[in-house]
Amino acid sequence: MTSAPINSPFQHSGRNVEQLMQLLLYALCPGICASLWFFGFGILINILLAAGVAIAAEAAVLHLRHRNIRSRLADRSAVVSAVLFAITIPPGSPWWIVVSGILFAIVIAKHLYGGLGQNPFNPAMCGYVMLLLAFPLQMTSWHVPNEVIIGPLRVDSLGIPDPQQLVISPLSWIGLQQALLLSFPFAANNLQGSQALVDGLAMATPLIEFKMAGHSALFAAWEADAAVFARESETAWELINISYLIGGLFLLYKRIISWHVPLSIIATIFALSVIFYAPGSVAIYGSPYLHMFGSATMIGAFFIATDPVSAATTNGGKIYYGIIIGIAIYSIRVWGSYLDSIALAVLFGNFCAPLLDYYCRPRVFGHGKTLKPLQNESRSERSRA
Amino acid sequence: MQGDAVYARTTMGGIKPPPHKHNSLRSRIMATPIPEHLAIPIGPAPSGLSATGVKVGERVLKYQMLSRYKQAGLTGDESGQLAVPIHAPTSGIVTAIAMAAVAEASVQERLCIHLSSDGLDEALPLQSEKDYHALTPPELFQKIAAAGIIGMGGAGFAVARKLHLAAQQEVDLVIINAAECEPYITADEALIRERAVAVLLGSDIIKLACAAKRCVLAIEDSKLDAIAALEDAINSPLLENANVELRIVPSKYPAGSEKQLIQCLTGLEVPAGQYPTDIGIIMQNAGTAHAVFAAVVEGKPCISRITTLTGNALQTPKNFDVLIGTSTNFLFDLCGINRSTKVKSIVGGSLMGHELFNDDAVVNKTTNCLIAGTVEEFPGIQPEQACIRCGYCANACPVNLLPQQLYAFSDYEDSNQLIQHGLFDCIECGACDYVCPSHIPLVSHFRQSKNSINAHRLSMERSQQWQQRFQYHQYRIKKDKDQALGSKDSISAQESVEFAESFATETIAEQESFSKEKASREIAAAVARVKARRSKIINGDPDKDEPPSGDSN
Repeated sequence: MTSAPINSPFQHSGRNVEQLMQLLLYALCPGICASLWFFGFGILINILLAAGVAIAAEAAVLHLRHRNIRSRLADRSAVVSAVLFAITIPPGSPWWIVVSGILFAIVIAKHLYGGLGQNPFNPAMCGYVMLLLAFPLQMTSWHVPNEVIIGPLRVDSLGIPDPQQLVISPLSWIGLQQALLLSFPFAANNLQGSQALVDGLAMATPLIEFKMAGHSALFAAWEADAAVFARESETAWELINISYLIGGLFLLYKRIISWHVPLSIIATIFALSVIFYAPGSVAIYGSPYLHMFGSATMIGAFFIATDPVSAATTNGGKIYYGIIIGIAIYSIRVWGSYLDSIALAVLFGNFCAPLLDYYCRPRVFGHGKTLKPLQNESRSERSRA
Repeated sequence: MQGDAVYARTTMGGIKPPPHKHNSLRSRIMATPIPEHLAIPIGPAPSGLSATGVKVGERVLKYQMLSRYKQAGLTGDESGQLAVPIHAPTSGIVTAIAMAAVAEASVQERLCIHLSSDGLDEALPLQSEKDYHALTPPELFQKIAAAGIIGMGGAGFAVARKLHLAAQQEVDLVIINAAECEPYITADEALIRERAVAVLLGSDIIKLACAAKRCVLAIEDSKLDAIAALEDAINSPLLENANVELRIVPSKYPAGSEKQLIQCLTGLEVPAGQYPTDIGIIMQNAGTAHAVFAAVVEGKPCISRITTLTGNALQTPKNFDVLIGTSTNFLFDLCGINRSTKVKSIVGGSLMGHELFNDDAVVNKTTNCLIAGTVEEFPGIQPEQACIRCGYCANACPVNLLPQQLYAFSDYEDSNQLIQHGLFDCIECGACDYVCPSHIPLVSHFRQSKNSINAHRLSMERSQQWQQRFQYHQYRIKKDKDQALGSKDSISAQESVEFAESFATETIAEQESFSKEKASREIAAAVARVKARRSKIINGDPDKDEPPSGDSN
């Protein structure tokens, strides 16, 4: 009698890490497209720059660590980190912001802790927080989303604007040039139309701008019968957030992520904003709607906090993890001095994750559950008999 | 007899892999031609063999008992009544008694009686018994034991023995497991589809044998033909006196695992480390029920079983009524195997089965499925990637473990955490492997960790034993020496034993509660001793002039 080597199971679901990452990137597309529409090419430049640097950095570190570069790069985790990082930093940030942030994320936050699967903190958010602490000014200015008028305003004798004058969409060639100039200011001399660059193109998210006092631009546009997709309607943030929500629901539908983290984050923020919302009072904390769609809540809840490596991994732990992040997001937004709080809140959640996992272990089958009383009685009676 | 199909609740975890079952269900169960050569496995090991009833060169008849073996670890069966007999599947001449490869889950080779069949299929007369209700439980045990039936589902526990234990523990409920949740296997489904009455009557006999109150047959909701056959049979006059209920369970792997099925049907969890009989339940496989029917009603010993032959390398996959001892290659040939496309032979299903390295291996009583797989079906081991803690494995686990955490702990070889996280509750169903996007062979890791923890425990026990023995030995020598010297302070034998014992337990306790503090204290003491000795040697005065060696702790 010789025992056989065991290597079952022989069947596999066919799902792999590359697919997961690919689907995650697809799910980000609606939100990226919305950003592209409202904010112009800045976000695309950020993504391409960050992805390129991330792949190069990942390859370099894998080479230094004597790992197989090709197979590890194929998992696309570096690209996902880069995209998540790029969509959170302001479009129009100078190139060195993007490069230093993503290098910090990939090299320090990810690979110094052992690479994919070992990093205790979300790499993209580590990069973001590093930038937020080091360059607070650059990290809170956003490229203005409205159409840009090039040159001094020309009016004819009747006061009617000259139809020949360029009102430029951010998605036009000149919009691209502007975005490139914002990202690579040193290239100004080599580009045509550099004079078109207007200084101080900055606006903030509604939450920042109004510090919670704002109203929904989407509803306002609706009521005013304005086009909600027009850039001047200032519906950008709300529509971008809704786009990310759609992407997130796609991930849930595909079962790439579980419902626990996003639902508990959103429910917590919603509950807190309902509790503290007091319209008309002096202490204005913002409407629940604004907390849901006025800032980066949806990106945070569906895409950033759900990073499986750094999040809690037990289902119970995920719920507590989401609640902790939700409380942190709301508290920092309302009472804290940082304006956007997703990154800090997620990192705070990452700190708690191992502990949550330890205490939220599910009950193992056959342990700690007593039998039905009836069954027990009948058994014990019989054994007595 | 009344019985409506009742849906059962669902259980935690589980996966829904593609079933790959329809291929082998296209045709009816077929009998094979009698192979020229059979190798009938006898017993788990040569040492378990109690008697070989035949000699090489002897002619045997069909149904003739060849040997009987005791299963390992069985106690309370001194009379050998419940030993498992082996019968000749056909008439022929015994050519050898030698080791041969077997198509089984856990072993590759067994001692076999090699039989060269003469093609006459000359049989001993059978004693049929139409009215099994007239028999008492002991008589039923007798008949089941005499037929040599073991669990057909895969575990292979002697059925008479199991029923005997169940009767002693007064079980309430008999569950006939026809869930057959694992991909590829269709033996029970085909059997029920064609012989539902026999399976139900066999279930009733099992219920009578262990004097249970109820008998429930559980089947997955995807097996529509089999369910229809069962419903027909239940309402037929043949089953007027029988009382078997039908339960339909959700199609989910591993719904057919013993404890999972019990939970699904009753809501009860068998406590860890206990058996279903401890909560008043006994489970038998549908194939076993059929064999019991054949044994009691037809008086037929267990000489064949239904085995699924499937896989894409076979042109006509089907279920065979296979004589025990038939070789796998013989069956593959009957199904028209394309050997050039076959890359892997598997015995059992695709999730808990075992790779078969020798296609000459013979079918034994537990061989439920043989797969001849192509490279498209079984592409082999994918490169392992890093665990991203996605938690799919935890959601698939039917016993609520956290495979992602266990994997990390098994990587760090942290046996305390492994045990705390329930490593030994893992049923190795492979659901976690199946869903893992990083292609980590989790179950293999867990098997390895189980083995290494068990080996460590064993070696600790052994080392303690040896330490004790060595200490006894030392004290015995010391005592002998002291006696020889006639020294006054020599200790008595009794004292020496007591001292040795106390010393041994002390050291063991110390070993267990090994701590840094204790270690540093011991080092300090040792350093002090050395110092004292050295200074004694150097200048004969222990209190003065300590050597200036690095002595701080």
